[in-house]
Amino acid sequence: MDEEQIQHLLMELGPRLTEPVPPDLGEHIKQRIPHRLARHKISWDTVNIIIDLRLSKSVAAAVIVIALVLLLNLFGDRNSPMGGIVQDGVLLVKYWGKAGKIDLSAVKTKYEHLLERGEEVVWYGDFVDPKDSHAVLMHQKLTDGTYIVTFADGHEKEVDSEELIRFMARMLRRKPN
Amino acid sequence: MKEKAKLAEQNADGTYPKNKPRPSGDSKEPLEQKRHALVARLKAGDRAAASDLVDEYYQQIYLFMRRLGHDRQSSEDLTQEVFFNAWHHIGQLKDERALNSWLYRIASNVSNLYWRRHKHKEVIGIENINAPEVSTGRNDEFGHYEQLEQLNYAVARLPVKLKQTVVLHYMQQLTIAEAAQVAGIRQGTFKSRLNRALKALRKRVT
Repeated sequence: MDEEQIQHLLMELGPRLTEPVPPDLGEHIKQRIPHRLARHKISWDTVNIIIDLRLSKSVAAAVIVIALVLLLNLFGDRNSPMGGIVQDGVLLVKYWGKAGKIDLSAVKTKYEHLLERGEEVVWYGDFVDPKDSHAVLMHQKLTDGTYIVTFADGHEKEVDSEELIRFMARMLRRKPN
Repeated sequence: MKEKAKLAEQNADGTYPKNKPRPSGDSKEPLEQKRHALVARLKAGDRAAASDLVDEYYQQIYLFMRRLGHDRQSSEDLTQEVFFNAWHHIGQLKDERALNSWLYRIASNVSNLYWRRHKHKEVIGIENINAPEVSTGRNDEFGHYEQLEQLNYAVARLPVKLKQTVVLHYMQQLTIAEAAQVAGIRQGTFKSRLNRALKALRKRVT
């Protein structure tokens, strides 16, 4: 049989290789939708572009403030009300404050699901400081001895046991008395 | 000759022959708009959008898992995990048009991680192939069905990466561009992986 025939058979096999999907699966998944979905930070293209350029958040904020001041000086009427700038400032402060935070309930839902499935997973989210982006919310042990660590800023990293201990030690050092 | 031309067309631009039931150009635009709106609502934290996402994709993600060889229970669990990850990381989806391939990419990662965690678990994909709607009862039809069964068995025994390549393109009917995006590789690399898979299948199917 040549490759063309194999391709023909594969095209035919796809639609025929199917089975009924459990009818309650969709509803079951919907029941697990977290109370608050993780919101996308700020849909401000400038901010996103700067983040994409991998500049730190403080540099990004400084660049935006300088750009706003320059624009105001160049084009703005000095006597005009400062409402626009104030609003932008408020947005900026909001962004600054919320950047790096995630909705814990989404991670908690995932934790509960993994736990239910019998995975070796540990939750720390109840006592860590969610403002600390390096705080560990949970870790999941894999069979090859490595761990998947979920941090408070939402990113995940696969680490070995030594690195996990380092993260935990760091977290304990930062824990307030 | 016509058949060959169709296959050549597919190889050239990564699309299916024109007589295949693919989404038509007319219906593609509203679908894209719908997806665009869905992603925007998800990014705004709309729970109803999360529910719509499930409605639109849970069946294809479940079948994707089954076609990758996960058993029924694992496929259900992994499908759920795909949506948890999607809700959690929706902010990382830059291009709204890529929702489809983004979701499949999550599904592939979830599946790969599962195979890493359960290296020795048996592959139990969909074993029963649906018979054609109109049966003539001819002998060559029976032979053809046997070939399909052989091929299904051979696909199930391909190495994970090659199997994923075949399932994405031929069974989930993603274009070469979409499937390459899902696999996180260039289109050329995807095509060569596809060729390797076809060669391996050719050896195993008589």
